[in-house]
Amino acid sequence: MAAVESGQPRAHGKGKKHKKRRLGVRVDMTPMVDVAFLLLTFFMLTTVFSKPQTMEITLPPDEKTTVEVAESNLLTLRLKADGAIFYSIGNEKPLPIAFNQLRPELLRRYYPELSNNNEAVSEVLKSADPVELLKRYKAHPRLITLVKIDRDGTYKMLVDIMDELNLANITRFSIAPMLDVDKEILLKAGA
Amino acid sequence: MAAKKKPRVGIKMDMTPMVDVAFLLLTFFMLTTQFKPPESVQIDLPSSHSAFKLPETDVMIITVTKEGRIFLGVDKQQLRVQLFGEEFRLSASVEVEAKALTDLLIQARISNPKLRTVISGDVTAPYGIIEDVMSTLQKVKINRFNLVTELEKA
Repeated sequence: MAAVESGQPRAHGKGKKHKKRRLGVRVDMTPMVDVAFLLLTFFMLTTVFSKPQTMEITLPPDEKTTVEVAESNLLTLRLKADGAIFYSIGNEKPLPIAFNQLRPELLRRYYPELSNNNEAVSEVLKSADPVELLKRYKAHPRLITLVKIDRDGTYKMLVDIMDELNLANITRFSIAPMLDVDKEILLKAGA
Repeated sequence: MAAKKKPRVGIKMDMTPMVDVAFLLLTFFMLTTQFKPPESVQIDLPSSHSAFKLPETDVMIITVTKEGRIFLGVDKQQLRVQLFGEEFRLSASVEVEAKALTDLLIQARISNPKLRTVISGDVTAPYGIIEDVMSTLQKVKINRFNLVTELEKA
C-alpha cells in the first residue's frame, strides 16, 4: 500500500501567484523488501560455489617417442580389473600392495632420504600440503613410474593412482596399456 | 495498589541500511549464479586432491558414462551446430561413436584452436574406453588435457 500524504496546505500569502503544492510521497517499501529478501534467500540457497577440479595430463607428442630407461630404474604399477595393485621394480616379480601402502612405498623409493626414515614418511603422509613438504627432499633422478591398468578396470583406478602419484610429487610417469604379457607376468606371480 | 503499567515504547528503526545490504547481496547472488545446463547424462565424478580449476570457457568435454557411452560437448552453441547439426543447438552434449570421435575432435580444433579438452568420466566407467579416448586424443595431437574430478574431502 502506498500512503500518499498531501503536504500541509500553505497559508496563502499576499502574493498574487499561486505556489504549486508540494506533495510528500511516502511509499510503503515493506512488500518490496519482503520480495527482495525472498529472492535473496533463494539465490543464497541455490548457489553452489564449488567448481569441479581438474587434473592435468600432458602426453608425449608422438606415440613413437621412446625414452630409454634402465630396467632397475623402472617402477611398474599394474592394476588388475578388480583393483588389486601389483608393484615391481625392473624385472622383479610383481608384489601385491594395498592402496594405502602405495604412497609410503613410492615415497621411500623416490626419495632416498626418506627410505629409512619412517618418521619423515609419516609426517609427509599426514601433512595437508605434502607436495610443498617434499620439495625439501631430493628426488631420485632417474626413477620412472609406469602405470598399467587392465582394460576392464574402472576410471576411478586411474584417477586414484594419478592422485597418489601427484601427492608424492611424482610428476613424470607414463601410462601404458596392459598387454597380455603383463597379464601372464601377473599370473606367474601368483595373482 | 495496582502495579503501574509500563509504558509501551514504540520502537521505530531505520531499516534503510539493512535493506541496502540485502539488495547488494541479492544483486551479487543473482549475477554470480550460473544455472546448471541440463545434463544429458548423470556422471559421478571421482575425487582427487588436485586443485586446478576447470576453465569456464572454450572447453570441450568428453563425457564417458558408466556404460562406456561417449558424449562430446562444447560450450559454444555456434560450434555445436557446426559439429552436430541444427537440432543439437540446445543439447549440452551429444552421444558420439568412438570411431567418429577422431573427426569431430579435429573439426572442433580447427574451428576453435583455443579449445581445451577435458575428460569427465564416471567413477565406474570402464578403463578401456578411457584408454581409447586418450589414445584418440594423442592421435589428433591433443597432448594436454584435463581430467575432471571433485575435491576430496579431508
